Amino acid sequence: MTTSSATPTVTPQSLDDLRDAVREHTGPLLVAGAGTASDWAGTPEPGATVLSTASLTGVISHNPGDMTVAVRAGTPLVELQEILGEHGQRVAFDAARVERGATLGGLFATADSGPLALTFGSLRDLVIGATVVLADGTVAHSGGHVIKNVAGYDLTKLLHGAQGTLGVVAELILRLHPTPEATATVSLPTPLADAATHAHAVAASPVEASAVQWLQDGSGGRLLARLEGTRDGVDGRVARLRETLGAEAPLLSEADADAAWAAYGAAVDGGAQDRAVVRVGVTPSLLTGLLLELADATEVTAAPLTGVATLSVPATAAAVDDVHRRVAALGGTSLLRRRPPGRIDLAALGPAPTSAALLRAVAASLDPDQRFGRGRLAPWLPTGVTA
Amino acid sequence: MATPTTTTSSTTGVLAADFSAFLPKASVITDEVGLRSYECDGLTGFRQVPAVVVLPRDAQEVAACVRVCARHGVPFVARGAGTGLSGGALPVADGVVISLQKLRRILEIDVENRRAVLEPGVFNLDISRAAGPHGLYYAPDPSSQQVCTIGGNVAENSGGAHCLKYGFTTNHVLEMEVVLADGSLVTLGGPTGEQAGPDLRGVFVGSEGTLGICTKVTVRLLQKAEAKRLVLADFPSVQAAGDTVGDIVDASIIPAAVEMMDSLAMEAAEAAVGAGYTVEAPAALIIELDGPADECDAQFEQLTAICERHGATRIHVAETADEQAKVWKGRKAAFAAVGRISPDYIVQDGVVPRTRLSEVLARIAEMGSEVGLRVANVFHAGDGNLHPLVLYSEAAGEHDQAEELSSSIAELCVELGGSLSGEHGIGADKACSMPAMFSEDDLDVMKRVRSGFDARGLCNPGKIFPTPRLCGEKPGKYQAHPLEEAGVIERL
Repeated sequence: MTTSSATPTVTPQSLDDLRDAVREHTGPLLVAGAGTASDWAGTPEPGATVLSTASLTGVISHNPGDMTVAVRAGTPLVELQEILGEHGQRVAFDAARVERGATLGGLFATADSGPLALTFGSLRDLVIGATVVLADGTVAHSGGHVIKNVAGYDLTKLLHGAQGTLGVVAELILRLHPTPEATATVSLPTPLADAATHAHAVAASPVEASAVQWLQDGSGGRLLARLEGTRDGVDGRVARLRETLGAEAPLLSEADADAAWAAYGAAVDGGAQDRAVVRVGVTPSLLTGLLLELADATEVTAAPLTGVATLSVPATAAAVDDVHRRVAALGGTSLLRRRPPGRIDLAALGPAPTSAALLRAVAASLDPDQRFGRGRLAPWLPTGVTA
Repeated sequence: MATPTTTTSSTTGVLAADFSAFLPKASVITDEVGLRSYECDGLTGFRQVPAVVVLPRDAQEVAACVRVCARHGVPFVARGAGTGLSGGALPVADGVVISLQKLRRILEIDVENRRAVLEPGVFNLDISRAAGPHGLYYAPDPSSQQVCTIGGNVAENSGGAHCLKYGFTTNHVLEMEVVLADGSLVTLGGPTGEQAGPDLRGVFVGSEGTLGICTKVTVRLLQKAEAKRLVLADFPSVQAAGDTVGDIVDASIIPAAVEMMDSLAMEAAEAAVGAGYTVEAPAALIIELDGPADECDAQFEQLTAICERHGATRIHVAETADEQAKVWKGRKAAFAAVGRISPDYIVQDGVVPRTRLSEVLARIAEMGSEVGLRVANVFHAGDGNLHPLVLYSEAAGEHDQAEELSSSIAELCVELGGSLSGEHGIGADKACSMPAMFSEDDLDVMKRVRSGFDARGLCNPGKIFPTPRLCGEKPGKYQAHPLEEAGVIERL
């Protein structure tokens, strides 16, 4: 492995190397992938050794016939998609930051997802096995290379969304889907207040849109609906979708569709760097009301059918707390996704859920000294617990 | 294992008194006859009479029951309909069985948000029945769906025939209310599947009742597809049927279901149901497509062309909903029907990567003929989930040989890169095979997670993890579950 002494960074070259690094560096560890989400969630406690997955890259095995792939966690998803694309396959996952080089391990640990989550879920639903290294150097496997598998606990799920706590993911096994022969996007200009009604009309029609996403733009906003399938099939469904949405909803040219989804990605990334970005999830029917009340929010994107939204708010403790509080009052989930430099006063999480004590007990069992990602899930996992 | 023991009356008495403080008399079962009806689940070769059975009526009462157990340090086992096939609901000697059968209300069908809020004792099929008038349904459909409960589905991460396209229970559970081993009530998951922090819901689903008791669950509902097409195709060999499945997948078609049956299984099913199978055919596929009508039709043409290319000897298209139901009925009755061609049988549940189907079937046939036992095969071909049925005669003294063959088949699946179980779970049945699939470290980490949920190990002990006590003894002969004898459930 290579070690840099300025900011202590370790870059293991293999799984064994990673295990040895975890064993040899006895203090706190901060896992780093491509760095596309390094300011998400809680601020890590200073002084941790950075454990970089930059050299843990590449496909371990790909069996096109079984539609599964095993890959090292530091692999950028864009690179994997390219390899899979040659076989007409893909990971049916499109979080915005994938385009910026995000690694599979990072996307998994942060529970990120994009518009395709409407149809395919998040990586939680697509990852079928994992190899993790725990704080004591234990290397554990769960799941496997088969999609259907109920042997033992699904430990893989536990690492999904752990924000770099509990352990470090070294390898992931994913289920794959065929790359659709054709893709089409229909765009309807609509303010947020009416977006849900249109989205429900799409959902109630038989066109089976793979993604339905609203985004705020200069003229108010627009609802994007993506169809995927065979060429003939998509052509037919576009016509039916336009009957549902009306004449104001054009089918976008390929270039316009790419631009529209790029605009969506830019909004998710949050615009001006001095603002905070929060991602929220509430029962879908409550989403519009919540977002309309947050008058300061910009760069708003909303998935009316899944209840997930991202928004940019002023980087003040009060503004961020306001979002967390409102979401919690609706029984939802919120997470800070961008923290302007130095703003450690912004709360990463909302009020602790009823399961916080359970989370602490599980964390204490897997990582008793809280070596991994200390501070990332504070205050749900308080930082004061050192052995 | 499996030797019925008489429970100590002192344990029973003390516990019963505590339970009776908040439960009506009829909800605390302590008499021998009453307790006996809870001694096993669908894996009837494993039996154990518990000390007490309680039937709480709501989550608060479940929590109170668990607190009584925690106070006395007594293990407890949650039980739904008892249809599990791996002994997951097998009672613990001197322990308590907490039956969830009184928590069976559908609390809400939320049409706008496409979700259902359920108590754990709701039958799987009743969810789709309640959602049906709104054009919605609940996707996971284990064959026992008429009588298995959603709480049991959560514990086992149940699948069914349509998992390849639509996923398993874990992909459809959004939020759960759970009673932990100390009697506390917590919520896992949330209204959207969004996570702030580790997915505790995900690790709970499929934990076979060892991490707590689910008392309320919110599941996603899906909209029924516009069109559904079903074909039953006969093939000249198992290999040809297997290759057909491969080509379907290669053609980027993801069928809603692809099931394979061999001639032995069809012979049994046909004798029982008369679904129109060709008994002489070495193998048949049941393939279901669904989706928008145009695309469904186009893919269906592609699909039948692939079947023809592989020498399909008959292609029967089930045109009407009734015809489709008939084909499915035969498929789902296959397990129980095997009783017609063999005095005794063991159902196995293993998974191999789909591309190794032909190989595993050839090996199973070899292994069967080596010990002189027949093996019938019925399985979910799309996802490589096998259900070999080892046929044997108890009277002829073949039990131990059959058990051994069955376990070897499960372990063969692991050897070929698959899994010990695709949907029936590990339970008490396969705990001793776990080291074939997981290292000591892997199992140790699972146990560490368990101790985070339940430090004292009171929640359904003796399941999933191998123990010397469990693995040193042999289970008794398989006996048909009463519901199975009545033809209500099948073993898959």
